[in-house]
Amino acid sequence: MMTSQVTTGMNVASGAAAIAASQTDAAVLENAFNTLKTYDWGADPEILKPIDRAIIATQGDLAARRALEKMLAAALVGGLSRSAQDYVCRRLRIVGTAQSVPALAAMLPDEETSHIARYALERIPDEAAATALRDALPKVGTKLKPGMIGSLGVRRDQQSTKAIAEALGDPDIAVSRAAAQSLGLIGTSAAAKHLSAFANKASADMRLPTADALLVCAEQLLADGKKAEALALYRALNSDDQPTRVKLAAMKGMLAAAMKK
Amino acid sequence: MVHGRRMFLKATAASVALPYVIPASAMGNAGATAPSNRIVMAGIGIGNMGRGDLGSFLGRDDVQYLAVCDVQKDARDNAVNRVNEKYQNKDCQAYNDFREIMVRDDIDAVHCATPDHWHAVIVLDACRNGKDVYCQKPETKTLREGQLMVEAARRYSRVVSGGSQRVLEDYRNTVNACWGGENGLVKSINVNVGPLPIECNKAEEPIPDGFDWDLWLGPAPWAPYHPHRCSGSYSIDGTSWRSFKDYSGGGMTDWGAHHFGGATFAIDVRELEPEEVIFHNENGRKFATCRYPNGKLLHHNYPGRGNLQVEGTEEQGPSKAVPGYAGSGGIYGDFIDCVKTRRKPFRDIEFAVHTATVCHLFLIAYELERSLKWDTFKQQFVDDDEANRLVDVARREPWVI
Repeated sequence: MMTSQVTTGMNVASGAAAIAASQTDAAVLENAFNTLKTYDWGADPEILKPIDRAIIATQGDLAARRALEKMLAAALVGGLSRSAQDYVCRRLRIVGTAQSVPALAAMLPDEETSHIARYALERIPDEAAATALRDALPKVGTKLKPGMIGSLGVRRDQQSTKAIAEALGDPDIAVSRAAAQSLGLIGTSAAAKHLSAFANKASADMRLPTADALLVCAEQLLADGKKAEALALYRALNSDDQPTRVKLAAMKGMLAAAMKK
Repeated sequence: MVHGRRMFLKATAASVALPYVIPASAMGNAGATAPSNRIVMAGIGIGNMGRGDLGSFLGRDDVQYLAVCDVQKDARDNAVNRVNEKYQNKDCQAYNDFREIMVRDDIDAVHCATPDHWHAVIVLDACRNGKDVYCQKPETKTLREGQLMVEAARRYSRVVSGGSQRVLEDYRNTVNACWGGENGLVKSINVNVGPLPIECNKAEEPIPDGFDWDLWLGPAPWAPYHPHRCSGSYSIDGTSWRSFKDYSGGGMTDWGAHHFGGATFAIDVRELEPEEVIFHNENGRKFATCRYPNGKLLHHNYPGRGNLQVEGTEEQGPSKAVPGYAGSGGIYGDFIDCVKTRRKPFRDIEFAVHTATVCHLFLIAYELERSLKWDTFKQQFVDDDEANRLVDVARREPWVI
């Protein structure tokens, strides 16, 4: 019976052969992937360079790229050190697709690996990456929530609007702030409604982050041609209970909206 | 992903008859200004370069420091003692966490000289909290950060100056020759700079007492402490944070902020971003060229060309006056003067970001080893999903921008 180690070894060999242009290249790449299993802090990153070279060499070769990605994703579930996981996630940030998402998603709930998994997931355009972040949000602890929310905000993930809006009222200020910022970045009518509703009840330390998010949201709405909705946000912010700089920003926004055709 | 907002802000500035920025008194900050009418400042990141910045600002009669911040206790204690000794009082407060400074209403402006991976978080928070900012170069770690920093400065009518004094001061001859028409119609300029940043995999060493390692890392990926990882040494040889990808763009951004800043000033493309970066690999010799919408070329490490070597035409070109600093005291005086007058500084954040953008475009082209087209409006690469992934990085919790 084959051990899992032997199986992995065979996969690495066949994967390397599918990627490399020559037998020599394949052996070098196979060696780099095998090195990854024992790679840890203090090791010379140069020993993994064949993998970097393979990323460049497989540009435009979909089959080879998928084989390479498969090897990287498979390595992640093989009990790597934190340093090796870090290395792999950085590469999946560039070459990752839906194929890698399950391996990365499994790292999201762990405080040690959550961020480096997002390092890849936030930048993978496939919808599966957003789904993984959305699914993880209710499952992770308070410490990790701002990161998860922030990544969804950067992606402007409209499907997570409701879940992020629920985090606006979180007692942890980092979670609440991340939620406000992300809704601002999402910048849709729905995000604006949630932010506006929250603004009326925001605690003292959330007033400025909420106003900031509303300004960002209004700019996005205006850029998207939703002039009336942007104007409504600006009018609400042009209020005496806002700092002067926020009022001024709102006034500028109102003028810009008025001049927009 | 947030394209469109920046154009909105540009359009607002261009079409709305409001001053670029509003006087401090009109912004509700009048009570915060010291009775002597000094600009009240705080320093964030006061190690190597920050120590120099602090000294330059401290030497001015129109500035008063009330706060300094550093994640290393020795650095902040030294800075507090230096400031209090200067003013012969004990008014200056030391902070480990910059967020405590941001909520102080009595601070008008901050200087930010942290490692590069912190710049965007701090500049955005300063703008949000109504503070003007002098930010050390290179101002950004990613392309997206630059866009957000310009947006925040414009949104809140803040004076935000980049931090390269060399752009104006080191390349005067080249700038004067180009602006004076001596190079005819300028076609291109070359910059020789490096090295590229590398990844750091140094083994763990004990964290020194008084060093908040987690806050030093901030939005960057977690990594074990090693003195080389966080050394503020100016060497870019694997023994300083300037060498490593998580905290810097290596020599490409560190010295690139100066050289490319001077080069883009000389050939008068400060207000533009390139629309294309062309990657060359001639028999293993790699170099690259940025092409601007007006056709001007900015080369990086073009074989056989010197640093800031200009290619022009034979005839005398048009001549125009070279812009310079406001006030007195170099780039620091320029910033303080603009804080008072609410004008744009010489190294306005938008110009600084355009320079940083050049650096990042080159970095990404070298990383992917291919030519790329850059959509300056959308702030995205054209038809290149892979390159667009490198426009930004995911930040470690709880940091979101």
